[in-house]
Amino acid sequence: MEQVLAAIPSILIGIDMATKITWWNMTAAQTFGLASSQVVGRPLQECGIPWDTQAILHGLATCRSTRVRVSVDDVRFHPPGKKEGFLGISLTLMQSACGADVGILLLGANITGRKLMRSQLAQAQKLESIGLLAAGIGHEINTPIQYIGDNILFLQEAFHDLSTLLEHYAALYQMCRNGLPTTSVLSQIDTTTAAIDVAYLTAEIPTAIQQSLEGVERVATIVRAMKEFSHPSTKEKVSVDLNKAIESTITVARNEWKYVAQMVTDLAPDLPLVPCVPGELNQVILNILVNAAHALGDVGGDGTPEKGTITVSTRQVGEGVEIRIADTGPGIPEAIRDKIFDPFFTTKEVGKGTGQGLAIAHTVVVEQHGGQLTFETAEGEGTTFIIRLPLTLSRS
Amino acid sequence: MQKRILFVDDEVNVLQGLRRMLNAMRHEWDMVFVESGQEALALLAQAPCDVIVSDMRMPGMDGTQLLTQVMKRFPLTVRIILSGYADSSIILKAVGPVHQYLAKPCDAATLQVTVARACALRSLLADPALQGLIAGMQTLPSLPTLYLEVLEAVQDPHGSLERVGDIMSRDISMTAKMLQLVNSAFFGLRRHVASPGEAVKLLGLDTIKALVLSVQIFSHFDHQQKGAFALDVLWQHSLATGTCAKRIAQEEQQDRHVVDHAFMAGLLHDIGKLVLAANLPDRYSAALVQAQAQGTAVWEAERALLGTTHAEVGAYLLGLWGLPDAIVEALAFHHCPSACPEQRFSPLTAVHIANALVHTEDSTEAGGMPATLDSAYVAQLGLSERLSTWRPQPCRAA
Repeated sequence: MEQVLAAIPSILIGIDMATKITWWNMTAAQTFGLASSQVVGRPLQECGIPWDTQAILHGLATCRSTRVRVSVDDVRFHPPGKKEGFLGISLTLMQSACGADVGILLLGANITGRKLMRSQLAQAQKLESIGLLAAGIGHEINTPIQYIGDNILFLQEAFHDLSTLLEHYAALYQMCRNGLPTTSVLSQIDTTTAAIDVAYLTAEIPTAIQQSLEGVERVATIVRAMKEFSHPSTKEKVSVDLNKAIESTITVARNEWKYVAQMVTDLAPDLPLVPCVPGELNQVILNILVNAAHALGDVGGDGTPEKGTITVSTRQVGEGVEIRIADTGPGIPEAIRDKIFDPFFTTKEVGKGTGQGLAIAHTVVVEQHGGQLTFETAEGEGTTFIIRLPLTLSRS
Repeated sequence: MQKRILFVDDEVNVLQGLRRMLNAMRHEWDMVFVESGQEALALLAQAPCDVIVSDMRMPGMDGTQLLTQVMKRFPLTVRIILSGYADSSIILKAVGPVHQYLAKPCDAATLQVTVARACALRSLLADPALQGLIAGMQTLPSLPTLYLEVLEAVQDPHGSLERVGDIMSRDISMTAKMLQLVNSAFFGLRRHVASPGEAVKLLGLDTIKALVLSVQIFSHFDHQQKGAFALDVLWQHSLATGTCAKRIAQEEQQDRHVVDHAFMAGLLHDIGKLVLAANLPDRYSAALVQAQAQGTAVWEAERALLGTTHAEVGAYLLGLWGLPDAIVEALAFHHCPSACPEQRFSPLTAVHIANALVHTEDSTEAGGMPATLDSAYVAQLGLSERLSTWRPQPCRAA
């Protein structure tokens, strides 16, 4: 039995009901840098085990009172001379043959690597969508910059032409004032007026200015939306105006959908503020929007001018809000409907997506926000993704 | 006569901005602006255009699809993309049908010069049939051995950019294509490169691999068709001319750009022969035979039988592809440098002299007399004395 327990590659610690250590296997000794002789027989909290003792004691208390197995995840530990890491520990009440409580078994594993990988994967997915957005936003900004530049150049030339004409008029004014003959100046004015096409200039200058201002406003809108979308620091839940968040996300993703879809928004004006992590939720909306655009891209194909429609709506439903993102694409085939939230599941070609978008969206909505992420689909008609978020903060 | 330029963009504001910005050109250019590929094709069906400038991403028909249609149905039109889009998978598809690629935002001068150069090309080559033929060429044949080497090199898991660059620098067609890609903004580069090898390094192995394997920008020469045309001799002569032209420019203490252009123009100076031999094998073969029989220069026989010369054909192709003016000019005038409006030391000077020197060294070129030196031109540039210093050393490829 000793040998069996010693061979287990997990941390195995036994304590009695007074928290005195009764078991301490090899892995525990290696992980914490404490030999079994240093700890066995002493109370758990007094051994100087380099871990988050408070989290463990809290778990032990829960285990004793609820009498069921308790999992304590993400327990920080910092063995001397090594890097800080995370443990996942489960606590199980041990009973004797006659049913009396004899102690608690702590079974733990070092989950640092797994945790790191998960965060890197989430990061990779985020980078992937940021990369996609950066190219799209570049295009969105380049377009207005192109015509703003063209218009300003035109205005420069137009001003130059018109000031030549103005000089002639100034000369005419001088002649008139001084009572001199004006014939030659008048003919100069006629020639210049025809040469620079004054009618064209006076018609075009206001539109050139108007369109340039529109362009500037468009760039400003995109930059504003980018700022709102990325929402850098907040990792906490804050009260968010979902309608505004949705509008920003639609703006930053415009380049992804504008060639394949008409965007229709139906956002409830009286939508209450919703507690959520804005950056994470924007990412969810982005992933679903991009998927919708790709679905429409598949159906429209090349050469057909028919665009599909993406409809985004928000509503308050009972004690929560509902975001619906509907596309008029081909729908999700029956065979893969139960797989779409699986990590690594993708229908896109290799190298075009990590297959993490919807899986991460599901985690964010369900685990982080205590909400629901579901979909309705009919082949040939389209797909609607439905995000439901509770209005009250719940412990998650 | 006014040139007709067609602009296509799904954004009305962009079209109006272009129209205003180019207002000063209204007397030379008849400019037409449409919002979709379908409209552009309908318009071309009514009246031909000299140049089409199209956006890349548009709903319905995108720029590549539009320009592919234009290439098939209206081959005489010069095809230019003006796009703010940077997704390389989309750009790769455009490499075939697109002559030149401009990136948004594009300044007025670049756009004007690019379109004006495209319009001016017409004057180089009078024959519309030949113009259409050249404008439709997406690839140029390479030497079969080099083609196989490059295929192997890009698929080699341990392949290096140096090796790929080295192979491409020895091939006329690959060099021309690489220069087209880096001189245009296809991959956002648009800059001076010293050699095809440097172009390869700028593009990177992944892009090169995609270009060679999926887009198939290279092809190899079909031996069945070549007739009297001696392919390997042309390659040797071209490499020797390039090397010699570079040495001349160096010895004349020219700046780096002139030296680089002299080398590349030397390598490419006979690319027109390749175009003619690949596309009109029988007629071109007849011209070579006639030159041999009558003891005239090849270009004179070409002029007599085809109404043009390989110099004009080559310059037309490289002009379409947007290669630097200095190289296009060197190609166009390499037999008759005195006809070039600009009379000072240029890559043309180096290529003209190198071509004559290499021909004297090695007159095995199939058909016709070796190229003759334009002594008056050399004298006018004050280089007659220098000739003797270049001559003794045989100008051969290393």
